[in-house]
Amino acid sequence: MDSHFDEELKKVKQNILKLAAMVEDSITKALEALKKRDPGLAKEVQEIDREVDKLEMSIEETCIELIARHQPVGSDLRFLIGVIKMNNDLERMGDHAVNISTTIEYLVDKPRIRPIIVWSMARVVKEMLTESVESFMNNDAVRAQKNCEHDSVVDEMRDETIRILLTHMIEEPEKITSAMSYILVAKNLERIADLTTNICEDVIYIAQARVIKHHAEAGGKKE
Amino acid sequence: MIIETANLSLFYKKFQALINVNLGIRENMITGIIGPSGCGKSTLLRVFNRMNETIDGVSITGSVKVDGEEIFSPVCDINMLRKNVGMVFQRPNTFPLSIFENVIYGPRLWGITHAPTLDGITERSLRAVNLFDEVKDRLKKPALGLSLEKQQRLCIARLLAVEPEILLMDEPCSALDPIATSKIEGLMIELKKKYTIIIVTHNMQQAARIADEVGFMLLGELIEFDRTKKIFTNPADERTFNYISGRFG
Repeated sequence: MDSHFDEELKKVKQNILKLAAMVEDSITKALEALKKRDPGLAKEVQEIDREVDKLEMSIEETCIELIARHQPVGSDLRFLIGVIKMNNDLERMGDHAVNISTTIEYLVDKPRIRPIIVWSMARVVKEMLTESVESFMNNDAVRAQKNCEHDSVVDEMRDETIRILLTHMIEEPEKITSAMSYILVAKNLERIADLTTNICEDVIYIAQARVIKHHAEAGGKKE
Repeated sequence: MIIETANLSLFYKKFQALINVNLGIRENMITGIIGPSGCGKSTLLRVFNRMNETIDGVSITGSVKVDGEEIFSPVCDINMLRKNVGMVFQRPNTFPLSIFENVIYGPRLWGITHAPTLDGITERSLRAVNLFDEVKDRLKKPALGLSLEKQQRLCIARLLAVEPEILLMDEPCSALDPIATSKIEGLMIELKKKYTIIIVTHNMQQAARIADEVGFMLLGELIEFDRTKKIFTNPADERTFNYISGRFG
């Protein structure tokens, strides 16, 4: 039979997974809003973000209370520290989703461009997010480590996006506003990818007590 | 509030052990009282069922109400009070009788003699402390043969047999090892669904783990009383912070 504390930890895990689902939904809707240039969908993204902010504060408060009341050690402590960090990263991803959705304001009545690479980048970033959440759910450090490797791919896609859109801007100056908007979208997607990498680093820390952040050596620093 | 004190002071002859304590205990919660040795925790606990009166030279001023009734009123039935407000001590005080006789001791004193009723009370009380399945085949065996942790659970079952509202626990886990302590703590969390529990403990981590509200006492005074989360994340009084952080006490 699980102890009272174990029950509390389960609730924390359920809530952080709920937050992750909300953020995934927010990013999906933001990209859809951008593709369809739909202000209604963009508004939905902002509403989701308000709920994300509330849940993030609640999760943080709960973690702090559990640390104060139960003085956890070992994997329980790493779990709560990891959740606090993941909580913060997910909330920031939600903010980036809002940023993506608000670029619609700059695209209304502007000439359309079709930066296919942005949508490819979005697909990779969403897969990275799904993988990071799955690796947290299953405490799978191996899966998390593999996922970190995709971050450099996204960085390259961002650079390629900027190069392509700069070309658009030089050749078709009337599309500068649209191109700049998509550059901002690419930068927000790249930041989301960085944050999913943070989550994977947190999963490795929780599961194996290894610190691999700041591109430490491949083996990571064990605590 | 199921218990309320107003300007409660207690004297052991000339020594003032409790100084102007004002406190409200909420129903169906675990309230923890913490503080350094000699601060008046156990003295305060014993006020609620008037156990201090068994000590020579005790005098009390102020008001204490249980269920809205003043317990120091001349019309207060002290036996009924002690039935309603039971107490568990640091060391299990199991009677040198069988397990069954321990549990039915109280109900018999209250006039219940019908055997099936006593059997029912025994099973109900032992089930409430998660002990029945372990002892059902040896109810007639001596209670002192049980482990300390099981004896403590038996003492709690003995209280429950007379259907109290409030359980007072004076360092109930001090004599137990960590695993036994964890089991008793789990039991307390279960019991608060039906009872109000006040626990005195010198183990502040225990209070942090299981109490809903905590009072910190020092030199006879109640320094601070609040939700456990508040006490352990942001205490209002510096003395509380110094105690819970281990800087003194």
